[in-house]
Amino acid sequence: MRERSATLAAAESLARQGAIGAAVAACYEALAIDHRDPLVRALLAHLMLEGDFYDEAITEATAAIELDPDCSPAYLALGLAYDRRGGMSDQSVLVWHELAEVEEDLVTAHVQLGEAFAAAAFQDEALDSWKRALELDPKEARATYNLAIASLKREGMALALPLFRKAGELDPSQDELFFVLLGVRDRPAEPVDPAAVEPNREARLAAAALALRDEDLFTAAELVRLTLDEVADDPQALALAAYVYLKQEATNEAMACALRALSIEPTLDTALYSLGVVYARRTGLNRHAARVFIALAKQAGGQALVHVLLAESLLGLQRYQQAGRAYRLAVRLDPACVRARFGLAAAYLTEGRYAEAQWEIRRAAYYDTKRQGLFWRLYDRYTSGGDV
Amino acid sequence: MAADEAASLYQAFVDQDPASAIQVVERARASGIAQDALFDTLYAPAMALLGGAWASGAIDEIAFTQAAVVAEQVGSFVMPSAARRDTGVTVIVGTMHRDHHSIGHTIVAATLKEAGFRVNDLGVDVRPSDFLERVEETGARIVIVFAEMMQTARAALRVREMLLASGREDVVILVGGGPFSADTALAREVGANGVIPGAESAVKLVSRVAADLVAREAGEG
Repeated sequence: MRERSATLAAAESLARQGAIGAAVAACYEALAIDHRDPLVRALLAHLMLEGDFYDEAITEATAAIELDPDCSPAYLALGLAYDRRGGMSDQSVLVWHELAEVEEDLVTAHVQLGEAFAAAAFQDEALDSWKRALELDPKEARATYNLAIASLKREGMALALPLFRKAGELDPSQDELFFVLLGVRDRPAEPVDPAAVEPNREARLAAAALALRDEDLFTAAELVRLTLDEVADDPQALALAAYVYLKQEATNEAMACALRALSIEPTLDTALYSLGVVYARRTGLNRHAARVFIALAKQAGGQALVHVLLAESLLGLQRYQQAGRAYRLAVRLDPACVRARFGLAAAYLTEGRYAEAQWEIRRAAYYDTKRQGLFWRLYDRYTSGGDV
Repeated sequence: MAADEAASLYQAFVDQDPASAIQVVERARASGIAQDALFDTLYAPAMALLGGAWASGAIDEIAFTQAAVVAEQVGSFVMPSAARRDTGVTVIVGTMHRDHHSIGHTIVAATLKEAGFRVNDLGVDVRPSDFLERVEETGARIVIVFAEMMQTARAALRVREMLLASGREDVVILVGGGPFSADTALAREVGANGVIPGAESAVKLVSRVAADLVAREAGEG
């Protein structure tokens, strides 16, 4: 366990609360007491990175590493600062390589290493890094997106598109879209008890939606069944059933329920979502998927992911320019949407706009790494002497 | 008619009878429903009926799952054809000699292939004489030359010169890559007939050129 001064502890606390300015001031106070403390330098590097001051972050992280070559949070800050600044892929490769060796299970280090290799035109090494990331975490979406981009560059869109879709399904934001459409944002505080649900349609469907949010498919299916036993033509219940089947990979059952729901209520967004996803998974149904997602975009045009799903279908139809427009709209609606950024990169590549494609990939990494909060994981492990 | 056939298909699903289901599909096809329309006019309505039957309790969970398995087996018979029809048009694609940039030509070549063109991909670092040789071998009338550097872009003129020297002035040369996108006048300087800014426009442009060539040949004939 590393000892920390009270000033550093205060800086840490402020930084964790997001009070960046006050935390920076506290770090400088801590440096006035001990300017050779790698922890303070690493924390300062992270804070500079949070404020998008990349050169300052590089200076502080480098100082931290000089003071302690095992300071893993400083390596993370340095690598991210190089990548976000751009044009420093040679240096970035060395940093991520080092961090990937020190923190072997840090998946992001391998993903970033791959992107740095790709930026430096070492394609084979990049592929190895992303594959290593997927060995560590098969659900790592950004590694799969990068493999899709690599596949597009080497073999064209027909082989890349399934990888984009696979990565998209690993991305939890797709399920989030369904729950936004359903109007359920938060998980229930307690598991849904079907016996405690009032015996009426509204209560049952609301409880079923909450159970789905909690990934309790069994309870959701039971409540949907009770609703359908009373009114077999309830479109919302059928749409929930379609999603339950979709989550169990029973795509034909999902299609049957969604089509039935839409035959009763043709604009029901939740049913459109499930049907579009089913169609998108089938070879040869890109045109159908695009048609369904266009209908969904009319119902829920403010949701970035709807435009992403539409764009992916358009890629399958070789309508790359239209796909690019849909992706750009998605990015405008949600600048942090990694899936839209990678898709837009793919659309740019089809138009020979390589620099813009690279920029989108870098922005995807920017938002993805900001979201992950990896710094604190490494920082806590480092301060505890590697015991966390 | 289509509604009756959809009901028959649904019944075959529920009866777990793939042979009958396929017969229904074949009957619908024989009645004049195009392959690309089978999914919408036959399969989707049958699936909606299946969903309705499950919802109303007319079939139970097990029967629903078993019917879905039959629907899966029949699915391939009603899917719109994934591959585009062969256009019969051969296109030669390659990146100029001393140029190893592959992304542009790979994406365009793959897109043209998916669109049904017979693509002869020469890869990167292709000499002008190799373009000519392949034109003579295949009888292709469309050549797409990629270059991502100014020097190699200017050298594309050699491809036109070689084709002219061999009496192949009928061959259409399209060019692609950064230098040509940035300065379309450069394309004219190297004797190209058009510039390909991206993969989608490549399909459109090649389709138009192919149609023009066919129309010209028909006019001559």
